[in-house]
Amino acid sequence: MDLNANRSLIAAALGRIPDGDRAALQTVYRLTSAKLFGVCLRILGERGEAEDVLQEVYMTVWRKAADFDATRASPMTWLITIARNRSIDRLRATRQSRNMDPIDYATEIADATAGADSAMEDLQERARLHGCLEGLASHERAALRGAFFDGNTYEDLAARMKVPLGTMKSWIRRAMIKLKACLEQ
Amino acid sequence: MTDTFDHSSLPEDELLAAEYALGVLAGADRVTVEQRVVRERAFARMVAEWELRLAPWAAEINEVTPPAQLWDRIDAALPAQGQRAGLWHSLTFWRGFGVAAGALAAACLAALIYLGTLAQQQPLVATIEGGGHRHFVATLDSGRGTVAVVPAAFSPDATRVPELWLIPADGKPRPIGLLRADQTVTLTMSPDLATLAKKDAVLAVSLEPPGGSTTGLPTGPVIATGKLTSL
Repeated sequence: MDLNANRSLIAAALGRIPDGDRAALQTVYRLTSAKLFGVCLRILGERGEAEDVLQEVYMTVWRKAADFDATRASPMTWLITIARNRSIDRLRATRQSRNMDPIDYATEIADATAGADSAMEDLQERARLHGCLEGLASHERAALRGAFFDGNTYEDLAARMKVPLGTMKSWIRRAMIKLKACLEQ
Repeated sequence: MTDTFDHSSLPEDELLAAEYALGVLAGADRVTVEQRVVRERAFARMVAEWELRLAPWAAEINEVTPPAQLWDRIDAALPAQGQRAGLWHSLTFWRGFGVAAGALAAACLAALIYLGTLAQQQPLVATIEGGGHRHFVATLDSGRGTVAVVPAAFSPDATRVPELWLIPADGKPRPIGLLRADQTVTLTMSPDLATLAKKDAVLAVSLEPPGGSTTGLPTGPVIATGKLTSL
């Protein structure tokens, strides 16, 4: 499917939800649920839990669709943010992160460039973020990855990378400052 | 690794917004930020900007098709056909309602200030908010160990019930009891719990299966939070 057409379809369907259009929610679900389920599953690691959270995500979309502002964010960005936040809320409420394997950032291989993805349309934004992440030190990038993809807390990351908590906070904050500066160039 | 790195190149709020968007915060820290997102427009915008910066990373996550019956579950949980989400959930409507609820809260506060002058111990209050809505107003009587919770703009869920939690300084949620969307509920806390219900502790509401969470921790989404403050 043409990527811009996909984006327009999702945005248009989101725009009809505040009128109580259930078919519009179903359209959004059909176009985005595989991506959002992937996000929930990646953070939660357990299908049953990811299914529960995915249901909450679409109930949130039903209630909050009027808050979506197409001039500020792409529809997928908005939806992915809801899916990540709900998944992390669930994780924090129930247990420790799924992935607590030690991170050996010295041997970390460079990220493969993500393949074509029908639901993610912002190719330029992806390329820019990817470039800026590559510009970080490997330990900084590894810490951000653990947080973003595994839902790790500061404490989790300090344990996985075997550094004191204060050092981890310093790494993450420094990385975020660098990331923002790079993205704004 | 140098420790002399200067964080001052970004304001503390901006860093906090980044940490929240990345997801590294836990417990009371995360709850506090969620509250600020609801209350502070400028802070909410910083969080949204960070979410926008990071979201493209999710392109790396593979799509996984959810089970076919999941849509049916969602469809069944939606409000009955014909009920307009537009009116009930439109921002304009809630903004109007917010003004009314604000007036109600002000009236409650005035009453409490009056009561507070009578009582030995000052009551604590919490406005429990989430997603831009003020869901409940709670008043805590430390002397009696009771908490009275008034529903404000809470819209009930067909399948789940609201449950109240206390999150003290250690960040661990403790169950207080079930709430109602249609009437004030007064819950009595155990003496242990009551000693933790101090100023700056957080009250949170999650959606749970009928009868409440059986795990001792929230199992459903935390939809609203509020910090206990003295009058």
